[in-house]
Amino acid sequence: MTSFMGKILRVDLSSGTSEEVAVPAEVYEAVLSGKGLEAWYLYNNIPAGADPLGPDNILAFAAGALCGTGAFLTGRWSVACKSPLTGGWGDANCGGLFAPAIKQCGYDAIFISGIAKEPVYLFCDGKKAELRSAAAYWGLDATEAEKALHADLDGVCRKKPCVACIGPAGEKLSQISGICNEGGRIAARSGVGAVMGSKKLKAVVLAGTKPMPCNDPDTVKALSRDLGRKLLKMTLPSGLGVFIGAGGRMMGHLPSMPLDGSLTAYMFREWGTQANTSLAIPSGDGPIKNWGGTPKDVRLMDAVYNPEKINKIEMAKYHCYSCPLGCGGRLNIRGKKYVSFDATHKPEYETLEAFGPLLMNWSLDSIYQLNEMLNRAGMDAISAGNTVAWAIECYEKGILNLRQTDGLSLRWGNTEAILSLVEKMIAREGFGDALADGVKRASEKFGGKEYAMHIGGQEPGMHDARNDPQLGVHFVAEPAPGKHTVGMSLEYGAMSLCDICSWAPPARLHAKSKDLEDSEDMALITKANACYTMLTDGAGGCYYGQMMGVHMWKLVEYLNAAEGWNYDGDHYMEIGERIQTLRQMFNVKQGVDPASFKLPKRMLGEPPLPAGPLKGVTLAQHRAQVSSHWRAFGWDDKTGVPLEETIRRLGIDKLTEVEA
Amino acid sequence: MMKKTPVFDYLLCVSCGICVQTCPASALGMQKEGKSGKYRNLFPELVTDGCIGCGQCAGACPMEAIRMEERHEG
Ligand code: SF4
Ligand code: SF4
Ligand code: SF4
Repeated sequence: MTSFMGKILRVDLSSGTSEEVAVPAEVYEAVLSGKGLEAWYLYNNIPAGADPLGPDNILAFAAGALCGTGAFLTGRWSVACKSPLTGGWGDANCGGLFAPAIKQCGYDAIFISGIAKEPVYLFCDGKKAELRSAAAYWGLDATEAEKALHADLDGVCRKKPCVACIGPAGEKLSQISGICNEGGRIAARSGVGAVMGSKKLKAVVLAGTKPMPCNDPDTVKALSRDLGRKLLKMTLPSGLGVFIGAGGRMMGHLPSMPLDGSLTAYMFREWGTQANTSLAIPSGDGPIKNWGGTPKDVRLMDAVYNPEKINKIEMAKYHCYSCPLGCGGRLNIRGKKYVSFDATHKPEYETLEAFGPLLMNWSLDSIYQLNEMLNRAGMDAISAGNTVAWAIECYEKGILNLRQTDGLSLRWGNTEAILSLVEKMIAREGFGDALADGVKRASEKFGGKEYAMHIGGQEPGMHDARNDPQLGVHFVAEPAPGKHTVGMSLEYGAMSLCDICSWAPPARLHAKSKDLEDSEDMALITKANACYTMLTDGAGGCYYGQMMGVHMWKLVEYLNAAEGWNYDGDHYMEIGERIQTLRQMFNVKQGVDPASFKLPKRMLGEPPLPAGPLKGVTLAQHRAQVSSHWRAFGWDDKTGVPLEETIRRLGIDKLTEVEA
Repeated sequence: MMKKTPVFDYLLCVSCGICVQTCPASALGMQKEGKSGKYRNLFPELVTDGCIGCGQCAGACPMEAIRMEERHEG
């Protein structure tokens, strides 16, 4: 027995039909489930040149291999499609309860093509799959729609259904929109919400109760118990958060930034990702003033984003399914300035950074409001923040005027104007309409392209490649460019991949650009990091499990026990390599030129920053490092196209002949 | 009639929610407010009277935090 359900659900919205299809075992062996299964299916079935918002695009929802086996931190669900934002591979990932819900309906993944005539939602309870009218839900925000669906289905289903849905941003085809579950947790990136909106699919509602298989549940549970017991003991004394800013300042001066896996666990258990904000502001990791500023511009802002303040209003921690860590939380925000909601999910670091220092915004309270607005609208905070930052810089530099901004005085740190602009973006109203499709398109319309921070059309996550050149390689070499969750040197240091993989070099104590040369060793580091991330995604694992390191979150041991396999780390890393190569092949098939993904000049240090920890840094070796990374993957080092011999070595030639 | 129902040891529980999603009768919810060490957290508890005493929640819990105990049902 393995952990796979062995089947997928295929839905065609145009004809209103669906069918269950068995997936051959060799596919699971080759790419697991989750993002791997999506890569295999989408590569095979989305025709070249398909319109991302047309009927030929396929929207996939998948659970990972380990979901439901008892393995901890494996409750992430993956969405994939051809991205309207980049024209190539698009994916996003989210926690909550939706991943086990897919499996409990009897599937590893659901693939949805076509376009419905009227708004619909897909209902599935493991016995039947039906398309039902969504007339009553279209127009509601994602949290309202989820609540309404729960209320309407109460007592009708045996199980409380799990709902993944779009908000107004996805309905209005905003190319920076995502898909939500659990009251606004969002699979945000790549414009996946617009694809769902283009299909007139408001929600996927799952209420199955099938058992989720596992080969050796006792061993899996024992591995989890070990991790759980360790975590229960890992508690920091309260109040340490006030010192994080000082730690960040210190890190800014250090030549390297060490990170141990257990530190991840401590930090995320105590505060969640939000604690990174006051660390990132002074250290050079977090972008300031549309990536053009320095910590000097926001001196003492790290105190504004002190994680203890945020913890103080936390009502309870929030855990994704199967997670003992619980980096999330529900916050009581009633009565805060600018706030019209009672509660919100704890804002992630990315949101705090993108609407804080990136915009020179000193109001933490306004970010609670923005967080809830974006989560309900189903709009990506990273892309939205980068787009607003561009608008402010253009306004400050006279490229945009009051008439164009509908009278909004878009000055750095003008909290009211930021709130109004985001409201307009969500409603696609006036000036906000042009910004709702991200910074690339906005700058094509209004100018100021040099201030538009995007890579291949997608806005980068809130970490600066000048601080970590390894991240810069991942930003551009990743088939879904601009994602910050594929690899970083800090993360590589925490993972200890050399202990499971024979060719992964030991981590080095660096994170800074000056000493990061282009070498074969470095290319193996970036390759190993990307392969392990893809493996994690195939397993449905959380990035923070990965960041705890292979000695705490034992992915290889988990997979062997859950699948009844006996493979070593090298074998599993090859699965990751295969998934990554398939995603790259997807881009090539869709006519996306991998070499066209480029870091914005600013992030290359052209011109270099005048002050702060990144003073004078340029990424002179960046392009050479990307070439070496491609070469290490067996892709052409000039074009990034996977070589025939690589495709054969990984068995992808045979795999893409397998049909489902 | 005697029926078994789950009893939780919240000192061992890590709030992973696996038991809640496993329950075929949807009898459990992550609703009980409490503390895990110093952290405010939500814990699983019976939220309906639909428990059929199958013990699947206890079997699925990696932390061995659930015991099935006999309860007298009127
Ligand atoms: S660490 Fe955070 S994001 Fe990851 S599974 Fe746990 S709660 Fe979810
Ligand atoms: S014993 Fe069975 S029915 Fe009762 S709570 Fe546990 S899993 Fe649910
Ligand atoms: S499965 Fe066990 S550890 Fe997880 S929430 Fe339930 S009782 Fe707690």
